[in-house]
Order: sequence, then structure tokens, then C-alpha cells
Amino acid sequence: MLSWRWPFGRLRFRSKLGWGMAAIVLVFGLLLGHLLTDMAAHSLLEQHHKLGKTVARNLARRAAEPLLATDLLRLENMVDEVTARTENAEYAFVVDAAHQVLAHSFERGFPVELIAANMPEDNRSHRQLLRSQPGLIDDFAAPVLIEGDRIGWVRVGVSRGAVSKTYTRLWMVGLGLTLAAIAFGLVLVSLFARTVARRLARLRDCAEEIVKGNLDVVSSEDNRVNCWEIMDCQMGNCPAYGEKRLRCWYQAGTLCPQCGPGGYPDKLSSCRHCPVYRRCAGDELQELAEAFDVMAATLKDYLGQIQTARQDMARQRQLLRTILDVTPDLVSLQDVNLVYQAANKAFCKYFNLEEKDIVGRTDFDIFSEAQADQNYHEDKQILVTGEALSKEIAVAGERNRRWFHILKVPVYDRDRITGLLLTARDITVVKQYQEQLVHSQKMEDLGRLAGGIAHEINTPLGIILGYTQLLLEDFEEGTQSRTDLETIEKQARICRKLVADLLGFSRQSGFTRAEMELNDSIREVISLVEHTFSLNKVWIRSDFDANIPPIEADKERLKQVWMNLFNNAFDAIGEDGFIFVRTKLCAHRRRVVITVADTGPGIGEDDLDKIFDPFFSTKPVGKGTGLGLSVTFGIIKDHGGRINALSPAPNEYMPSEMEEQIQIGAGTVFIIELPVVDDVLPEDECEEATRHVVRSEQSSA
Amino acid sequence: MRTFRNAMSIMTFILVLCLGAFAGCDTEDSPVHVDWDKREELRLEPQREALTYAYLPQYSHTVSYQRHNKLVEYLRRTTGLPIRQVYPDTFDEHIHMAAQGKIDISFSNPMVYAMIAEQFGARAFARIVEPNGRAQFRGQIICRRDNKAITSLADCRGKSWIAVDPYSAGGYLFDLGVFLEHGLTREDFSEIAFAPGPGGKQEKVALAVFAGRYDIGSIREGTLDIVKDTIDVDQLRILAHTPWYPGWVYAARKGLPDKTIAKIRQALLDLDLAHPRDQEILDRAGFKAIIPSSDADYEPVRALMRTIGVEGDA
Repeated sequence: MLSWRWPFGRLRFRSKLGWGMAAIVLVFGLLLGHLLTDMAAHSLLEQHHKLGKTVARNLARRAAEPLLATDLLRLENMVDEVTARTENAEYAFVVDAAHQVLAHSFERGFPVELIAANMPEDNRSHRQLLRSQPGLIDDFAAPVLIEGDRIGWVRVGVSRGAVSKTYTRLWMVGLGLTLAAIAFGLVLVSLFARTVARRLARLRDCAEEIVKGNLDVVSSEDNRVNCWEIMDCQMGNCPAYGEKRLRCWYQAGTLCPQCGPGGYPDKLSSCRHCPVYRRCAGDELQELAEAFDVMAATLKDYLGQIQTARQDMARQRQLLRTILDVTPDLVSLQDVNLVYQAANKAFCKYFNLEEKDIVGRTDFDIFSEAQADQNYHEDKQILVTGEALSKEIAVAGERNRRWFHILKVPVYDRDRITGLLLTARDITVVKQYQEQLVHSQKMEDLGRLAGGIAHEINTPLGIILGYTQLLLEDFEEGTQSRTDLETIEKQARICRKLVADLLGFSRQSGFTRAEMELNDSIREVISLVEHTFSLNKVWIRSDFDANIPPIEADKERLKQVWMNLFNNAFDAIGEDGFIFVRTKLCAHRRRVVITVADTGPGIGEDDLDKIFDPFFSTKPVGKGTGLGLSVTFGIIKDHGGRINALSPAPNEYMPSEMEEQIQIGAGTVFIIELPVVDDVLPEDECEEATRHVVRSEQSSA
Repeated sequence: MRTFRNAMSIMTFILVLCLGAFAGCDTEDSPVHVDWDKREELRLEPQREALTYAYLPQYSHTVSYQRHNKLVEYLRRTTGLPIRQVYPDTFDEHIHMAAQGKIDISFSNPMVYAMIAEQFGARAFARIVEPNGRAQFRGQIICRRDNKAITSLADCRGKSWIAVDPYSAGGYLFDLGVFLEHGLTREDFSEIAFAPGPGGKQEKVALAVFAGRYDIGSIREGTLDIVKDTIDVDQLRILAHTPWYPGWVYAARKGLPDKTIAKIRQALLDLDLAHPRDQEILDRAGFKAIIPSSDADYEPVRALMRTIGVEGDA
């Protein structure tokens, strides 16, 4: 079913304006034309009626005398004269009080119906329209009165034909003039609509340009006089001077004395009396276009500021992002509902997630339920109390354990908590250093204890050994007593050695420093054990740095270190393996690094931290005292050095032929660092010594 | 395109509506049809027999009607006689109608009465009392107030004179008698004109002098009161009055039955100014009262006529 729609709704504005004004002009033009024509016609008819009435009244006044005198000739002359002299008069006649026609102007008989057609009862004049063969006739009846006495009537008939012709001619002229006026009006309307539409189209084009991003549009008319020309102004520092896009009353800070303070529209009240404004202010469309230009200029200014602010924000955001991504700490931001709003790269990497998988989620989506529940309560506590949380946690990994320092702080926006910032710093290395420090302190305490005990035992033990040796001289060989004494002596000597080792560990034994060749001391030890080791197919390989200068050290005690390490390696290998010794002078020539690697089964992760403890041994009972590495540790420390063990041993510490011998996960390497010049190691780390130590410590953590 | 067609349709509709309104708003009352072809030759019905009453037309017919219509009605009503007023156009016609017996009751000035009595046997039976309370009346000779050349009757010599009618008593004959007494004959005036007829002749004299057309004029006393609403009578100056003569007279034609005359005479004499009904009749007629009269009352008039050489043969 077709529905009728108001057809002007979808027309262009120009068409609407044109059609609307055309309709107004048409309607009002025709109505006005009709009104004027009608007024003219009525006026014409009224004149016609007045004329007829006047003629009738005059005739009535003049007919009184002859009517009284029954002067028919004079009456006849009168009606003939009236008929002849009155324009469009059809007839005239006089009747007396008895309604007898005394005189008439008809040539052939009198139309008898005419008398009764207009015969009023009262004494007032009366007009009656008659329709007859000649056409429409206005019949005017006027009483002949003397002192209020009616002595007869006169009747005058005036044809309406001429009036009708005049009326028709007037109507045609009126219609023609009206149509001409309408046509002229339509032309004016068309021109006006075209002008308005053109200016609106210009505004629309400018709006489209703005939509496209071009804010340099000028929608107002450009054929204008400028303010500095009107005011004959030379003030080049005035913001309006030379500005052709915006009128001066739209600009703040203009320098004319009569200009008010502030900007548009506050200053407009002072501008209304300014000759520039009075001359240049346009109509509403011009004002709209100029306001549009002001809007575009202001918009451009705002957009410029926004663009600058956006770039600044982007730069700051990028900077912040870079900082967050670069920092190894785990950083995240949650809102008050504990939904993640942001997470840095370290955070994502730790949990092996993308940022998009974290943002918008909660701990329950990322952690185990138990962990998430614990986090939830912690976080809620912080959000409620506003107190930051700082704690250290150990996280068990697949191979080792890692320590984190967790810091959760509430994020405030003014006085309201809007989120929660989490930073988690990996402090595993710090923890290891702490443990090493504790371990070192423990070793030192142990050494001091062991040294004290050994020192106290050493004297009675010497006496026991001395007296045992004296008693041996009293018994002959082969006797039971001598055999028992020999057993006592043997055990006493073992005890003495133990005491000597304890004193060595506690560094209470003698310490003699002298300049020595490090490589030579190692070679001497190798030569001592090389043969013995070879019997079990354990081969020693060495790589000495010839640039190592002589160092200040106790040569004998260092040889004890090498011996302990080689024996440890030999014991670990058992048979069929390699021991690789390498010396290296650090680049800054203030440290020397000695590595002793073996192809043994390696040291377990749990044991690695305890190998330098006194009396710790993985060997079978009776095979070792558990003091070898402790003594080694003490000697190196006395020399201002440092000893570490890595297991499994990194490949680079092994010669290429040993790599084939090394089983996966096997091997141990001891890294000894000794100062070359001073008594302590330089603060600068030596890459060769620390790279794998740190890496190993991290991986083990 | 459809929108444009709809818009055009609406505009066309508006145009047609407006043109219709333009064309269709001729307001007119409904005409009465008259058949122009139904014609007849008209003939006046003869008037009923009645006594005719005529007022010597010193004024217009309309004034005559105004003055005497009520009186005629009164006579008809009181006497029961069929009386109607007739309107001779001039003094002369009045006299001629009297001569022909077409005027049964004549109300005329004493000069005309003297003529018709002398020549046609009319008989006076009543005369009026003027509004000034006198049973006589007189004429006035007037000129413009600013006419310095005329200060006395002697100054009228060689001047132009307009009079009412050759048969007017107060408007000519009385005045002519005065001029003769002062030695001025008709020939001493540069012109003697008479007011054009019909009717309204007294007023016309006053108007002619006021307009300056004539140097002097002669009217009966009382005329200036009649024309005071028409002209500024202060611009006129009364140069002289004529002697008093018997006033206007009612006369019956010769042969009218005495009984009829007696009825009419009594009715006229019965008019009493004190009576409200009669007062209106008398006021309109310009009388104070009507008193009995006889032919002998008009001897002074006849004497004047002989003096000025007017005989009853006019």
C-alpha cells in the first residue's frame, strides 16, 4: 500500500526555500490581487450605486414641483433628460402617490412588471437589482417628499453591463498585474534562494573539508574591507593586523583603544559601536559563516594542542613502557576489582603469557586457585587498609628454587584507592650471597672452634705419642704389648694428622708467604700424582697461561690445595677419566683464575653447598676425613682468594678430548681466584671467572 | 523525481485554489426578474371631482404645499367637502385659472383679488391676520447694505429694479405706488425686471439683490425671514416700507354655492391659535388667524391700482 509522503521533506534547502517562498508569493499575491480587485470592483459598484441613487434623488427633488402641479410635460422632460444624460441609464419614470406612472422614458409602452419590482413601503431610497432582457439593471427608487409627506416616487434604472465590463477589465488588469508581480516576486525569490543556498553550500563544503581534516577553511565572504584599512591602523603587533581570516571582534587582545577586554563574545558589546563592526558586520548567514571560521580556527588550535599533548603522552607512555619492559622486575597494575590493567614484559615472560592474556583477567585466571585465593585476600587487605605489603617468597622451580621480593602498594587517585601496583624482584642471587655469607661465617666459626680444640688436644696428644714411643723402646718386637703400643702410636699419629688438618683449616698453622711461580707449583704436584693416577687411567691435562706473573703466596700450602683438588678429582673419577687444569690471567692482570675440572659423576645440587663444610664427605667411612676441601677453602681464603665449584662442569672448562668422556650431567669444576698484586681480589670481576659462576648460580636458583 | 511531481501538484493545487478565489468572490444580491416585453401604454385615470384650492404662487409649489397642505386637509376633514390644492405656476396662470373657474377657493393678494373680483365675480369671504398680528401687510424696498449710492428713494433713479411679479402686491405694486409718490415713474429706472417663474419669486428677488445683480428689489414684508437661512440678510438694507394694505384674502369663485362658502368660511374662522391642532395649521400657513372679510375691505387697494394705472384687465 502506497503511503503519501509530504513531498517537501526530502527537497534540498534551496528548493524548499524557493518552493516555500514561491507558494507564499503566489498565495499572497493572488489573495492581495483578489482583494485589491475586489475592493476596486466594490468601489466601482458603490460608485455605480451612488450615482444611481444620486440621480434618482435629484430627479425626485426636481420632480416635486411638477408633480404637485401635475405638470406632465415637465416630468416627461425630466425623465428624458435623466435618461439621456446619465451614463448607462436604461430608463426613468415618475409615479404619484397612487402608483400611477405620470411620466416615463420608454418609447414603446411601459413594462408593467417594473412598477412592482421595486416599490418600498417606507420613505427611504431603495435599490433593487433587476434581471431583464437588456441584462442586469440596478433600479433606484427615490421618494418625492415634502415635509415628510410622500407625494410620489421616481425610479431610475442604470444598466450593470458597463459596470460589469469595467469590472471584468479591472479583473483582467488586476490578474495580469498580480501575475506580473508574482513572476517578479518569483524571480526575486529565486535569486534570494540561490544566494542563500550558495552561501549554505559554501558552509557545507567547509564542513566537509573539516570532516576531511582540513581546518584551514574560510567559509565567510572574502570580498571585504579590513579593520586596519578602515581605522588607518599601523599597529603591526595587533593580532588583528594582517589577519584576513577572522574578523577583529573574534580575536582577543586587539589593540584598538575602543576594543573591550577579553575575547569573543565578551568583547562584542564594545564592538557594536565600532565603525569596523558597523561597516563589516554582515547578516545572520555571514555571522554564521564567520562563527564557523572561528570554530574551525579554534578547533585547529585545540587539535594542535591535543596533538602535542598526545605526542607527549605517547612519548611518556613509551618511556614508561620501556622502563617497565626493560626492568627485570615483574610489574603489574590491578584495579579495585583486582582485574589486571597492565603487566610488563618481565611479568608476561615469567608466566609465559601474552599481555593480552593477562589484561582484563584476575589472579584466578592466572594462578592456581589456592595461590589466587591467597593473593585475593592479601590484595583486598591492602585495598581496604591502604597499607603496602612487602614480603619475600620462595618459588619452587623445576630444577631449583627462586626467591622473590614482593611489594604491593595501593595506587591513589587523589584520596581514593584506584588500584594495586605489584612489583616482584628476583632476589635469588642476593639470597645466595646471603647464604654464602652465612656459610662463610659458619666456616669461620667452625674453624675457630676446631682450631681451639685442636690446639688443646695437640699437646696431650704429643705427650701420648712421645710416651708411647718411649714405651715401645721397652718392649721387644713381636710381643703383645709392643703390638698394642704400636696400635696406640698409629692411632695417635692419625689423631695428630687430624689435629694438624684442623689447625690448617682454622689457619692457625704456620703461614709463610714468598714470591712463587703458580704454574710451577701446580706442575710439581702433577708430577707427584700423575703416575699414581695413570695406574687407574686417570689422566691429567693442563693449560697454563705463561703470562702469569710470580705471586706472593705460601707455596707449600698452595701445593696442598692442588693436591687436595687432584685427590678429590681422582677419588670422584675412580678410574678412566680426565682431570683438566687451566690457569688464566685476567685481562686487567690483577687476578689469576685456576680451574680444575674432572670427568667424575659430579656433585649433587644439595651437596654442592656443603662440600666446603668441615667433615662433610660423600666418601665411604674411613676413606676421607671430610676436611680436605675445608682446608682448601681456608688456604684460598687466607690468600685473599675465592673458590667455587660448579657441577655439572660447563664444557668450556673441559678440553675437547674430555668432552667425549663426560657424561651428561656429570663433571665438576673448581674455580679458584687469587689476587696477583694485593691481598684481596680486585672489585672488577673477571669474566672468565665469574661468567659461569653467576650463570650457574642463577640456573641453580 | 516523484517528490518534485508531488511538490508541483501541491503548487498547482494552491494556484487553482487562489485563482478560484480570485474569480469567485463577486458578492451580489439576488436580482428580481422583470419581463421587458410585457408592456402597456399607460393612461392616467381622471381625477375625482373636488373643490380646488389655489394659493397665489408667490412662493414655490413646495412652499405652497408645505404651507397649505395641512389647511386643505383641515378643510376637507371639517367641511366634509372634497377639496384639493392646485398649483398654478404663475400669478398670471392663477388669474387665468380663476377666470376659467378652475379655482374654487382662491387665496391671493388683495391686488389679484381686486382683479378677479372685478373681472370674474370672485367674492371675498375671509382674510388673514399676519404673524405680526396685523390684518394688513406691506412691501419693502431693499438694497445691499454696502451700496453707498442708494441712501434714499430718490437715489433709486436710474437704478435697476427687480420686482416679484407684475401682479405682486407687496412685491411690486405697493412699491411702485411709493415710487410714484416720490416722483419716480417706471421710466425713471434703468431696468425693471420680474423674478423668473415658476414659484419662489419673493425669494428670488432677495437673492438677486443680495447677489448684486440688481440695485434695488421689492418684496413683501416677511420674506427676509424666509431667506435668512439661505443668505446673510444683514448684508441687505431696507430702504423703505410701503403703506399698510389689507392682507391676503380668501375668495370664492363666482357661482360657488353660498352654503359651501359658508362651510369653508366657518371652518377657516374656527381656526384658533390657542388650539394645538389649529396652531400647527396656522403656523405652517404663516397666519395668526383668519377673520371675516368682504369686498369693501379692499377699496384702498383699488385706489392704489387706479393710481399706478393697473386695471383689472390683466
